[in-house]
Amino acid sequence: MLDRASTFADPAIVELLKTRFIPVAIDQAYQRRQKDAEGEFYRKIALQGPRHDFEGSTTQGFYAATSSGALLFYNNYRGPGGEEGLIGELNAAFTVASVVQDVAPIADGELDRRYNPRPPEGGLVLRAHAKVLHGYDPPEDRFQKIFQEGLGRDNFWITAAEHEALVRGELPESLKLRLVRYHFVDNTRGEPPMWARDEVRSLSMTLKDGELRGSVSLSTADGKRSYDAEMLGYVETDGSKVTRMDIVVRGLFEGRGEYTKDPPPGKFPLAISFTIADGSDTADAIPPQGSRGWVEGYFE
Amino acid sequence: MKIRNLLLSVSVLTGCFLLAASSGFAELDKSDFETLHESLKPDSTESWRQIPWRISLLEGQRVAAAEGKPIFIWAMDGHPLGCT
Repeated sequence: MLDRASTFADPAIVELLKTRFIPVAIDQAYQRRQKDAEGEFYRKIALQGPRHDFEGSTTQGFYAATSSGALLFYNNYRGPGGEEGLIGELNAAFTVASVVQDVAPIADGELDRRYNPRPPEGGLVLRAHAKVLHGYDPPEDRFQKIFQEGLGRDNFWITAAEHEALVRGELPESLKLRLVRYHFVDNTRGEPPMWARDEVRSLSMTLKDGELRGSVSLSTADGKRSYDAEMLGYVETDGSKVTRMDIVVRGLFEGRGEYTKDPPPGKFPLAISFTIADGSDTADAIPPQGSRGWVEGYFE
Repeated sequence: MKIRNLLLSVSVLTGCFLLAASSGFAELDKSDFETLHESLKPDSTESWRQIPWRISLLEGQRVAAAEGKPIFIWAMDGHPLGCT
């Protein structure tokens, strides 16, 4: 969230990455653990940087490397002068890398299935976007402002059996529960906590004549985090597949997670929207945050 | 973006004035739906979206090797194109 509106809002950085680099965006929680060729290549690069406790802690940051895996620089600095520093590092890295020749492409090989989940065949992928509508105290600096204006993004995976049920005009319980537990979250300021099954206090969702309506009450046992929301959506089919599934959720959220600090005080309005992912956005291929490292649990 | 923000504000204010259920808002109607669904669409003109991000490191390595370019990796906790 922060980098999008700071580092990658700088036109010089955008131009350098577009023309002189091959830019890759990853959730390193996968690659640092993957037991396959991609994991090995990532760890080879990260091992040359300052963060290489691959099991114990994050290795997040910006890396530039040659295609043979030689680290050109590591940077995890954000703040005054950060963009200027990165521009200098990018220019230097490009100069060094330009003399590297004849590097062999690395084949995928056998994938580590745990960290390479794929959307269910015959299923659906919905884009999920979340936004805090208002309620924040005035931001203290530009970084806080970025978080306050953040638009969360995730993907909601629907199985083939659930897809078939939707075509028949039914709403499977598994779909309802997965939708609210993993996607009715405040992911506008970072990685959100999901909802445990027993934190779903009440859930009503119906699909009638293509109109989806519902309400939900979610709350932790201590009541420190909660979301009470209404939903309205429209589902259309061509008789064999769903051609439209647009949903809007609006309600009052309260609380924060370990990585979603500084929410608005008290209860605040959070809206979430869903629509079918058509594959035109690179992010359409990202696994759901809630499936991270355990896709079986996401589909339970 | 200004029109989108205006629509969003109108929707929020409407919701606030029609407080009802435990959600703190009235039941959503079609107008709320259309306004919110439109206002939660990402802004395709944002600078970071103009960068041709790949999400496979090995695919990036293969293109980098073929084109003789270095790789830039944006590595985060949570996906950088998603919630972080």
